[in-house]
Amino acid sequence: MRRASARFALVDVALKIWRYDPESGERELREYEVDAPEWACLLDVLDLIKDKHDGSLAYRKSCRMMICGSCGMRMDGRAVLACKERMKPIADAGHVPVISAMGNLPVLKDLVVDMAPFWNKIRAVKPWLDPGYDEVAEKERIVSQQQVNVINKESLCIMCGCCVSECNSMESDPEFLGPAALAKGFRFVGDVRDHGEVARLNELNQDHGIWDCTRCYFCNERCPKGVDPRDAIAKLGAESIKLNIDHDMGAKHAKWFVKSAETTGWLRETELVPKTQGIVSSLKEIGFALNLAKRGKVPPPFPPHVAKDVKEARALHDLVRTQGREGAAGIVQGEHALAQIEHVLEADERGGEHGGD
Amino acid sequence: MEAKHDVLVIGAGCAGMRAAIEAHDAGADVALVSKIHPTRSHSGAAEGGINAALGNASEDSPEEHAFDTVKGSDYLGDQDAIEILCDEAPDDVYQLEHWGAVFSRTEEGRIAQRPFGAAGEPRTAYAADITGHVLVHVLYEQVLKRDLTVYEEFFVWKLVEHEGRCQGVIAWNLLDGGLITIGAKTVILATGGAGRLYTGTTNAYACTGDGMAQALELGIALKDMEMMQFHPTTLAPTGVLITEGCRGEGAYLLNSEGERFLKRYAPNAMELASRDVISRAEQVEIDEGRGVDGNVLLDMRHLGAEKILERLHGTRELSMVFAGVDPIHEPIPVRPGAHYHMGGVDTDTWGRTTLEGLYAAGECACVSVHGANRLGGNALMETITYGKRAGAHAAEWALTNTTVEVPESAATDAERELGELLDRREGERPWSIRNELAETMHENFGVFRREDQMRRQGEIVDELRDRYESVVVEDKGRVFNNDLTQALELGFLLDLASCMVVAGIERKESRGAHARPYDFPDRDDENYLRHTIVRWVEGAPKVEWKPVKMTKWQPMERKY
Repeated sequence: MRRASARFALVDVALKIWRYDPESGERELREYEVDAPEWACLLDVLDLIKDKHDGSLAYRKSCRMMICGSCGMRMDGRAVLACKERMKPIADAGHVPVISAMGNLPVLKDLVVDMAPFWNKIRAVKPWLDPGYDEVAEKERIVSQQQVNVINKESLCIMCGCCVSECNSMESDPEFLGPAALAKGFRFVGDVRDHGEVARLNELNQDHGIWDCTRCYFCNERCPKGVDPRDAIAKLGAESIKLNIDHDMGAKHAKWFVKSAETTGWLRETELVPKTQGIVSSLKEIGFALNLAKRGKVPPPFPPHVAKDVKEARALHDLVRTQGREGAAGIVQGEHALAQIEHVLEADERGGEHGGD
Repeated sequence: MEAKHDVLVIGAGCAGMRAAIEAHDAGADVALVSKIHPTRSHSGAAEGGINAALGNASEDSPEEHAFDTVKGSDYLGDQDAIEILCDEAPDDVYQLEHWGAVFSRTEEGRIAQRPFGAAGEPRTAYAADITGHVLVHVLYEQVLKRDLTVYEEFFVWKLVEHEGRCQGVIAWNLLDGGLITIGAKTVILATGGAGRLYTGTTNAYACTGDGMAQALELGIALKDMEMMQFHPTTLAPTGVLITEGCRGEGAYLLNSEGERFLKRYAPNAMELASRDVISRAEQVEIDEGRGVDGNVLLDMRHLGAEKILERLHGTRELSMVFAGVDPIHEPIPVRPGAHYHMGGVDTDTWGRTTLEGLYAAGECACVSVHGANRLGGNALMETITYGKRAGAHAAEWALTNTTVEVPESAATDAERELGELLDRREGERPWSIRNELAETMHENFGVFRREDQMRRQGEIVDELRDRYESVVVEDKGRVFNNDLTQALELGFLLDLASCMVVAGIERKESRGAHARPYDFPDRDDENYLRHTIVRWVEGAPKVEWKPVKMTKWQPMERKY
């Protein structure tokens, strides 16, 4: 095993770290420079700094292979797993990145955040299977690989908190359940073995639930594991509407988009407000609506404006129904998902062959 | 005493959480203590799968599973323990499935199983190549469902023995600082392995052998400590794990000449021989100059993109991030790395140690189902089956005994000792000792072992222990002071290294992971078909022996 102690080429890596000392309350951006092996990732560099410069530097770590989810933090303002970021290209470019704690969670010390609010939200979605029985059957339940694939991405989640760190909705509403908990929610809603779908969706449709997502897609973009939490939220919305769980204004709003596009091929904006908020509440907006109409910002409601190729719009809706792609199955969003469309369609054509062998 | 429970489980990986669930369901008041959040546990890094004779991919039986395990252990495994494991494994896996584990599926919709090293049948149930991740999360879900108390980010430092019983622990609160005493009628160690003894290891930073070292301090026996498994496929330079599932799916191992060299070492099983055999073969190829920059090559290009994407997605991700290699297009450079400690706290088949009230399960325990070499897929299974058994027994014992007593002095002594460490201003910081320990263990106590190197390593560890006496913790704060806990972990590692080296010197044969090609190249059943037992006696490790339990299988020549 002589190779283990082989020496590697070194790279001069510089970092700026936002330090925070809870005992003195001091907050300070400090710069460090170390010689790191050329293969070093951000976590290795932090280790070198802690060893050789300052033993009080605090950050979490464990597996260093992108599976335990301990080392979420920010580099130049975006959430990363420290064990996943290679430093050589950054150092070679002469860049000195700024490292700070994740966002949307209270900072305890340096790069360590309080994860309690994160876990409380996970707990809030009742994250365990509701099997619908007490006695365990003799063997396993029969589930096809295609059914498993529905929750493949959500099962990859390592609970690192990177998505929550970046969530714009949570920044304005700290009570928003947020991308990680909602992805966990879909992990059960999408599981054919779970019997709690309706109850779960009713819960997730409450205030601070799925409809409070602003769809900025930062969670999809920053998730280090390709979970695509925003897609999970979209799937939860689609499942809710499929099951007529539409008490939230967000659901009503979305539903009207669909209905309107299906019937006339256009979004009928003048009806959108009463359909979303209800007649009584929208009466208050009448002055505003008239002003909009006066300035030609909205078309007159009557007669309804029907698109020229409305048949195409209607045919699309029929197709979705005949293919059984209502609900979660119809949601294809985000870069990762788009990249997989071909794969999914191919698998469908082969019909079932996709299952493991 | 700040808190008190019937059953206190230390460590919240697969074994710990499974034990806690079982103890709770038996009616006990249970708490888990873990220095990291449960889902951060290193069980989550297990990739390839979990072995149970479900018979979903071929005809199979617990008996065949047991035989493969006995042979794989190079006959050092205790056969009663192995039979229990293999008999209970199928139901334990079904239980995980009913809790919601997201397994991969066969065409019939059953749990999929793949071939694994040294297994006669495709027996390894899997969830793509993230099986451990899936199990850790499903167990944590069940912990949440039961609303179990979890002391998260509490670092257990000492076990408390009082009146011949283990009655609790003393732990450092990482988030807020300070020591607390948690009393318990029974304590279950489920603290995992000690791979951090080596530079090239698949193990997480958390794998510092805490539970084993704490048991050792109380005079409890550790078993087969020389048996450290080197996994054949770890990524240079740091040892990130590449799953055996790759070879299970059909990947080849090649040397620099493009030769599938295993035909010269294991002509029948080839890439699916046992791990000890393959790691040695790789090391010989590398040492004899047929390596590629200190590695051999794992070639899975012929599996095709679809199979790689569907079943080995995580492996591809690791290869691309840590080696810059996409296995769809290029072979992955791999080499042996420290992976799994077959040795651990000596227990019976209910997880009981020699101290009343103290149990152990999972990698920190040695029951022993793995003997001198563990089969891939048996570790996860052991965590579940023996975690469950330890939990059941600990609960039963706790529910029939009432008292918990921890003398005041336990806490005050600990406070004083910690105070001395934190007050020290002059001395060496731990990192250089830690690095030297890991480098020298790799050099002198690795895949192949020589008497002179082992003796030298014993001296090195003694020197490092002397230096550790005056180690300095730089961080003097209370909040998230892991400078402190890392220093304490180093102490644990040093104790364990001492035990490993003395046991290795005493075992004058080659068996499983303990290979001495230069002086004792063969297995010696006459003298060494027995476990090493190490106890800490008057400041030094002392080796004794214990017979192997045999039920049906007599030792045979082991070939793959």
